[in-house]
Amino acid sequence: MVTSWLKERPLLNDMLVSLLAVFAAFVVGAGLLVLAGADPLVAYRPLLLGAFSSRYGITETLVKATPLLLVGLGIAVAFRGGILNIGAEGQLIVGTIATTWVVLAFKGLPGPLLLLLALAAGFLGGALWGAVPGVLKAKIGANEILITIMMNQIAALLLGFLIRGPMIDAEEVAYGTGYPQSALIPEGSWLLRLPQTRLHAGLLLALLAAFLVYVFLWRTTLGYQIRVVGTNPQAARYGGISVARNLIIATCISSGLAGLAGMIEVTGVHHRLLDGISAGYGFTAIVVALFGKLHPLGIIPASFLFGALLVGADMMQRTVGIPAGLVNSIQGLVVVFVVSTEIWQRRRA
Amino acid sequence: MNRKMLGFALALLVPLSALAACGPTPVPTAAPVVVTKEVPVVVTATPAPTKPAKVFKVALILPSTMDDLAWSQSMYQGVKKVKEEMGPAMEFTVSENLYKIVDAGAAIRDYAGKGYDLVIAHGSQYQTVVRDIAREFPKTSFAYGTGFQTGPNIFAYDPQAQQGGYMLGMLAAGMTKSGKVGIVGPVKGGDAIKYNEGFKQGVAAINPKVIVLETYTGSFAEFVKAKEMAATHMDAGADVLTGTAQQSVSITKAAAERKGVYMLCSDMDQSKLAPDTVLASQIYQWDEVVRRMITLNKSGILGGERLVLDFSGGKLQLVYNPKLEGNIPKDLKDKVEKAKQDIISGKLEIKLP
Amino acid sequence: MVEQLLAQGFIIGVLATSIRLTAPMLFAALGEMFAERAGVLNLGVEGIMLMGAYFAFWASFTSESPWLGLVAGMAIGGLMGLGMAFISVNLRANQGISGIGIYLLGWGLSSLFFRLTFGAISGVAGFQPVNIPILSAIPVLGPVLFQHNVVVYIALLLVPLSYVVLFKTTFGLSLRAVGENPEAADTMGIQVYLIQYVCVILGGILAGLAGAFLTVGQMNMFVDNITAGRGFIAIALVYFGRWSPYGILAGSFLFSIVDALQMWMQVIGFGVPYEVLVMQPYILTVLVLALAVGRSGGPAALSKPYVRGGT
Repeated sequence: MVTSWLKERPLLNDMLVSLLAVFAAFVVGAGLLVLAGADPLVAYRPLLLGAFSSRYGITETLVKATPLLLVGLGIAVAFRGGILNIGAEGQLIVGTIATTWVVLAFKGLPGPLLLLLALAAGFLGGALWGAVPGVLKAKIGANEILITIMMNQIAALLLGFLIRGPMIDAEEVAYGTGYPQSALIPEGSWLLRLPQTRLHAGLLLALLAAFLVYVFLWRTTLGYQIRVVGTNPQAARYGGISVARNLIIATCISSGLAGLAGMIEVTGVHHRLLDGISAGYGFTAIVVALFGKLHPLGIIPASFLFGALLVGADMMQRTVGIPAGLVNSIQGLVVVFVVSTEIWQRRRA
Repeated sequence: MNRKMLGFALALLVPLSALAACGPTPVPTAAPVVVTKEVPVVVTATPAPTKPAKVFKVALILPSTMDDLAWSQSMYQGVKKVKEEMGPAMEFTVSENLYKIVDAGAAIRDYAGKGYDLVIAHGSQYQTVVRDIAREFPKTSFAYGTGFQTGPNIFAYDPQAQQGGYMLGMLAAGMTKSGKVGIVGPVKGGDAIKYNEGFKQGVAAINPKVIVLETYTGSFAEFVKAKEMAATHMDAGADVLTGTAQQSVSITKAAAERKGVYMLCSDMDQSKLAPDTVLASQIYQWDEVVRRMITLNKSGILGGERLVLDFSGGKLQLVYNPKLEGNIPKDLKDKVEKAKQDIISGKLEIKLP
Repeated sequence: MVEQLLAQGFIIGVLATSIRLTAPMLFAALGEMFAERAGVLNLGVEGIMLMGAYFAFWASFTSESPWLGLVAGMAIGGLMGLGMAFISVNLRANQGISGIGIYLLGWGLSSLFFRLTFGAISGVAGFQPVNIPILSAIPVLGPVLFQHNVVVYIALLLVPLSYVVLFKTTFGLSLRAVGENPEAADTMGIQVYLIQYVCVILGGILAGLAGAFLTVGQMNMFVDNITAGRGFIAIALVYFGRWSPYGILAGSFLFSIVDALQMWMQVIGFGVPYEVLVMQPYILTVLVLALAVGRSGGPAALSKPYVRGGT
């Protein structure tokens, strides 16, 4: 039988299941495309190949994958410590705020130093925002899901307040438009870019972070303790590991990584603070982290895959001219189908 | 090594290997951002007469949906109108719901790379990303707005929303019975600031005793909150409402559910949604702007111009709802008309703070 | 200014608005409470609400009956709940991911269907406010409590009803047992999977109803992404209310009343940046949770798929 033959080849089986799930999602999506009056065969070409077929597609995929990778790594650290961090969106926003503020405040400094400062500011900004739910959970047992959902909204409004008030671009005020955005950050603090594209050096930083997270979780005592707290808090307590302390550390690292993603978006992509600066990475990254099995080596390809999916889906919308809603639907279908078929991968584990 | 994970990683191997094959390795080649100096447009670069069969390609990027009865839809219809005039000589595509700038940036870059002649990014928030991309595609025209900063191949369009705001403010002050009128804004910036400021000055011009209540929902798309906020205004006694952005349909709807309340619209005329409530609207004639940009582009001018939409150019217009027009006292209407003429002639200038 | 603040109209306005704002969150949160009490975390509430909102709008537009709209919203909600139940109970998928998938799917489909069927914003009649005889004439209390449309009353009545179901019936006992310890419940002869199915579908129906309320009970129209994050707030409120109907009522009322209050403060003109005011409901919920509610236990087996006979 095919199934028993596959059973002996788990890797092939897992691959096949993942591919079949994506295929099934596309078949259902094809029905929607027909409904919307588009030819699925024409529409799917840019979705599947768009992200890989040109320099544009590849670099844009990597531009999307970079924040997804960083935030996804953070989600994984928190998850390993027993926390579902839905607050990455807010932490990323605070990271962008902290970065922009520091870079604008010290704009006289030389570029490399400025970037180092920005790095620290982004990480610390995110970590500070994430420390609130972390401490509240560790100290009084307040649920992190509630706190982070609320703090996402607060962060977005805080951003709005700052770019309309204290941090608004003086040029905008002078002209009378008053469009809410900060001044441009000095060019010395812009991340290096591949010419003619938006691909920036942040990708290298994200890959480095993936390596560091791997070392941290599997090669240090602290990482080991966090994993124990996450899998078995009872055992951790018996073993003399402080659950509260590790919870706080895990959330701070997690949110710090989200803040770092914010720093990279400012210095690599936008070069200023503006509304709508986060593209929902906080949520997509949860999917990325769990698809990557909460392991850096899995999260790297998962973030590339999702970057490709996001870019391909947008290209599909442009090529075929279908409503934006269809793009979201197909993405939702892919997520649902792949997560639903994991059971056929898990069976032999 | 975790097997499940490895399996998943392998599943991705196929597309990734393709990526490795043709992808430029970003590591060593990453050079500092090349900021080319702003080169003036060299018109002589293309002196040859353009081929007769050349199709003019226009791409439009919208922050909300193209059926929002406001900002996005008004521009969409403007471009569509030009397309209908030009027929096969023009090609037109839209990407909607791109409020997030990263996604909008990807779309703008894609269109530019595909050889579109004019890429319109319809929002103030796209200013930075347009400037960024325009440097790399010197042969493409880009446009964005509300804004003022242009570039060699960037048009900025700038609706003087305060002008219509002023006239509608006059109407509001003249029509209110309670002496209170309400503005439900999205966020305090860009178009909304200009419109609201003009509105307040218009109210004061007719009757300084009329109180203007001004609130913001904090978002462009908080429809439910916008409606409840409008209800709060009416609870507080306001009987004429106004507001901008796509959520303004909520204000119109809220006003329509109470008796004796008028709504004044900007961006688009929403009287079809509430024929007994919408009294008048300021509408944007985007087709004129689009036509102008196409003409400029064809004559070799790819940007550098700030296109102002105002009443003197006819790109902003005041329309009354014919069903309710009779309710407006003649002397009030005359005053509004006079203000309009003064604005057109430049005698009346509405100052922004 | 002070007399304006204390005027009767002001109090009535704030309370009436907050009750209207509470209703959709109450539906969604009570539904989510049942699902979570049975051990299933459904993060897709927002998407289900959007589908409920669209279908309710479509049905009441074509049939001109808001009641049919409510039914349609509940039906599609239940259907999506069924899907979520199948994914999380039978296929034992990770509930964090599948919920986000459902959210994306629901948002996308509702927006797509709206474009295909309407293509332009239009209105429906919707439910009209009902003045309950005698009671609505009571000063202050009357306009606050007894001059709403019928769906608001359904939402409020659902709170004690849910309480009774959860704590006074065998079904409630079983579902709580399933959420706490499915193995033990199984040995006691409770059909764990059936209970989880029922609860997740119920959660879907109520989320669909929440969406339907937005389009045919509050806005009387549909627009893309009309929920604007209310589904996620509802999930947060379940935690705030510690999985109890009255706690959820208190939480959603607190949230809404602060929201209504900040709208009034803006109207009156306080000279505070409006962002600071808009932030208030979110900040206050966090503060109250931190200072007063504290530890939230929650169903022990929440979001852990149950495998009969062990793994």
